[in-house]
Amino acid sequence: MKKYNNPVGVSKFTGLLLISPFIIGSILFIIYPFVCSFVTGLTKYDGIHSPEFTGLKNYKNMLTNRHFIKAVGVTFKYTIIFVPLKLAVSLLTALLLSTNIKGIGFFRTIFYIPSILGSNLAIAIMWQYLFTRNGLANQALELIGLDGVSWYGDDRYALFIIILLRLWEFGSTMIIFLTALKEIPREYYEASKVDGCGSVRAFFSITLPLLKNTLFVNAVLQTISALQEFSAPYMITGGNPMKSTYTVGMLIYDEMFSYHNAGYANAVSWVLFMITAVVICIMFRLTGRIRKDIP
Amino acid sequence: MKKILLSVVCTLILFSCGNERVQKTPPDNKLNKCTLRFSWWGGDDRHNATMKAITLWNARHPNIEIKAEYGGWDGWTEKINTQISGGSEPDIMQINYDWLVTLSNDGEDFYDLNELNKFLDLSGFNEDILSFGTVNGHLNAVPVSLTGRGFFYNSEVFEKLGISYPETWDELMTTGEIFYENGCYPIDLDIQSGGTAWYISVVYVQQKTGREFLDMNGNLGFTVEDMETVLEFYKRLEENHVTRTVRERIDADGNSALYQSPEFIQGNIAGVLEWNSAVGKYESVLDKGVLEAGNYIGDENGNNSGWFVKPSLLYAVSANTKYPDEAGAFIDFLLNDKECADILGTSRGIPASRYAEEELEKTGKLDGLTKQNADMLDAMNTVTISPYMELSRMKEFYNMAIERVSYGKGDIPEIAQELYDNITEYLESIK
Amino acid sequence: MKKITIYIILVLIAVFMLYPLLWLVGASFKTNQEIYSSMWFMPMDFDFSVYFNAWKTNTGYSMGHYFINTFTIIIPKTLFSVISSVLTAYGFARFDFPLKKFFFTLLMVGMFMPAIVTVMPMYMFWHEIGFLDTYVPLTMPSLFACEGMFVFILIQFFKGIPKELDEASRLDGCGSLHTLVYVLLPCIKPAVISVAVFNFLWTMNDFINPLIFINSTEKYTLSLALRTSVDSTGQGYEECKIIAMSVIGLIPSVTVFALAQKKFIGITAGGLS
Repeated sequence: MKKYNNPVGVSKFTGLLLISPFIIGSILFIIYPFVCSFVTGLTKYDGIHSPEFTGLKNYKNMLTNRHFIKAVGVTFKYTIIFVPLKLAVSLLTALLLSTNIKGIGFFRTIFYIPSILGSNLAIAIMWQYLFTRNGLANQALELIGLDGVSWYGDDRYALFIIILLRLWEFGSTMIIFLTALKEIPREYYEASKVDGCGSVRAFFSITLPLLKNTLFVNAVLQTISALQEFSAPYMITGGNPMKSTYTVGMLIYDEMFSYHNAGYANAVSWVLFMITAVVICIMFRLTGRIRKDIP
Repeated sequence: MKKILLSVVCTLILFSCGNERVQKTPPDNKLNKCTLRFSWWGGDDRHNATMKAITLWNARHPNIEIKAEYGGWDGWTEKINTQISGGSEPDIMQINYDWLVTLSNDGEDFYDLNELNKFLDLSGFNEDILSFGTVNGHLNAVPVSLTGRGFFYNSEVFEKLGISYPETWDELMTTGEIFYENGCYPIDLDIQSGGTAWYISVVYVQQKTGREFLDMNGNLGFTVEDMETVLEFYKRLEENHVTRTVRERIDADGNSALYQSPEFIQGNIAGVLEWNSAVGKYESVLDKGVLEAGNYIGDENGNNSGWFVKPSLLYAVSANTKYPDEAGAFIDFLLNDKECADILGTSRGIPASRYAEEELEKTGKLDGLTKQNADMLDAMNTVTISPYMELSRMKEFYNMAIERVSYGKGDIPEIAQELYDNITEYLESIK
Repeated sequence: MKKITIYIILVLIAVFMLYPLLWLVGASFKTNQEIYSSMWFMPMDFDFSVYFNAWKTNTGYSMGHYFINTFTIIIPKTLFSVISSVLTAYGFARFDFPLKKFFFTLLMVGMFMPAIVTVMPMYMFWHEIGFLDTYVPLTMPSLFACEGMFVFILIQFFKGIPKELDEASRLDGCGSLHTLVYVLLPCIKPAVISVAVFNFLWTMNDFINPLIFINSTEKYTLSLALRTSVDSTGQGYEECKIIAMSVIGLIPSVTVFALAQKKFIGITAGGLS
């Protein structure tokens, strides 16, 4: 008989009762679509006519498909570069915006605006003016004596303008940091000031350790969304040039709706799913000791 | 236990993917009281005109109510695909040409409109036009209008440089050189959704050889050597500065369409190869009257065959509809009715139905660049685009090949061979 | 001195953040030709009738109608989502129960699948039970705490509250729900508000779900109505009208955020000041 670690007088069913909406919901909104998707992944299915069972053929095709392999590479490259940068940028702005000076609320609102705009036309046009050959970014580079870069046209750089777009939309991650920063008691900082610590040291000795759980949450959420990235490259580069910004998320979308290959799209989704699961599992394992345990 | 599991899985498959085909309702040759769903995508002009037409219909047929479902183009394919997968699509749909292949490649997934001849009068269409909507002997859809890509030029730039619009391929090449000396380009060719880089090069080879790239049933008419000629021709266009290289193009314009590009608006790019039914958006970003229709390009002997036409939009009826006659009658109204034609105008292009076209001709509603270009096409020996050519996957193949040629990644024969293999393999797999 | 540096940094970043919005407002007064040919935001002249026309829309319903539709979805959805996520997160953070690991894994795993592949099965489901073209598919799922992200964030904030607080409340004879509402919730109010705000903003921008589940124009949400006139395959359209609509459409989001931002943070906490 397993012993459940609950306060005295709390039965093991209290927790179950609390999460009961989720239990019901998970059957309908997680397990059911997942099983459907898995089964569809084992078929040749155009989304219209009856599916034809083909076993693991979709998975075998993936292994030999250059575009799939390239897309996985692009997605990994994107995730590895993007996630740490995003965390750093959001944390720094959160610190900046948690200072108690006049008009800070105004700045907080303004800093969130890019995240509200979503996939507005303005963004695609802005990026075009920033990063095309005679765009502002190149003018700035030339001003400091460097050569302009072919941002859109060179397969080494195109991914970076997508990363920059997503960094610019740091709002939601920043909010989560801001919320967590609020929880840190002010006395900690006052004590450190008395001890003669500078603000940089206070950051590393107080803020960062206390934020480690939030940092982890944000890292997990950003990794998941980076691995599924689809709308930013779709809008900014269309996956070009030479498929250097073509992510697995885009591939799934195209196979599903443009190429009428729903069976294959679902199979790829399952591979992406497994990749995500492995990456997140590693993240949980690696950080298990330093963060307070999450169930 | 295993059996139970298996049956659960099977039920799930049926439930999740099964497009339960309801027994087709045969026409009963009378008009019953009913409500029909009609869906289309478009812009404001089309929405307003169609809503007005529906009001007119509802006034004439109080028994048959038409429920409109409409929206913009973004996401419309996704919506219709999902609806058809679930067997809950509207009774009457405006469809795109390649959907005939993706949604009904056996001809069974839309209603055969020939069966509805009691109420749907097809005498205003010639056989050729109807054949565009025929799959496997079933008339799956009726073309609303025809279109083709034509050349549209910025007349100010050509005037300034003192040259006339090119009429032969050689002239096109020399035009490129002259423009290049002045720091601009005569036309724009893309490898985005338009895929005009491939389009123009295929036309060139069709004109030269008299062979068709793809026939209506998706059989490849080109050989590997033809593909090679296509790609080589594109390379020549770039080398003669007729168009920007793929890289120069995205460096200057990003992912935007040409009509959204400052290069085009400022006249650095002086022409576009565009569907005559969509030229309006290029016209509107230049000063009034600046964009002009140019002639189709042919060889030195005046042979300008090989250029494409296709139905720009079609109407189809769902195979699951409960009221086929009523749907047929409504389509007849949209296509042939004179009063309706006046209301709809050219919101879906120049009508393919003779009755509607005559009406618009009479009331003077046909003019402008679309009409000028359509008249040129009428007088030429054109080739009908195969719906297979328009498939997204096929466009992806062409565009990738063109991109590789432009970036110099690989020899042309090798790229052509790969393209040929990709295309044959894919066509095999979907037929 | 330090304050001035901070202000300078803030203003510099703010320009980058704000410019697209400024451009949008300017662009709503421009012709297509002006919009595409320069990134400068100032229009050549102002004609406010564009906003009048944008509000009227061309669909037979005014933007007010679409605002009401959108709020009819957002308000219950946000409420459902917050309540169910808080309860579930509380359960995971504070209690031990059978299959806890399994359910937590399920919660995480729910986020790993690209949303696009679940659209089709969900469509079939809602079709089967007859809820297409209603707001049920857009609001009901939020009752079941399946937005793993929100639950995951909240669990984290629950974990940050010392367990002693619960125990004290329990010693006073309070039940689990009482403890949650009167003791724990006040502590994580900022996190709950941020979850509500995210819900609001993301639902406001959601396009694909309303597109798939809603057919009738009179039931369209604002995000759908915005794209109803956009036909990139056709003869073109006046960009300024759509931009004007999107500017009006941004007002609720910006207002909600501006009102909520005070709640994310009250006292000084940061390390820089």
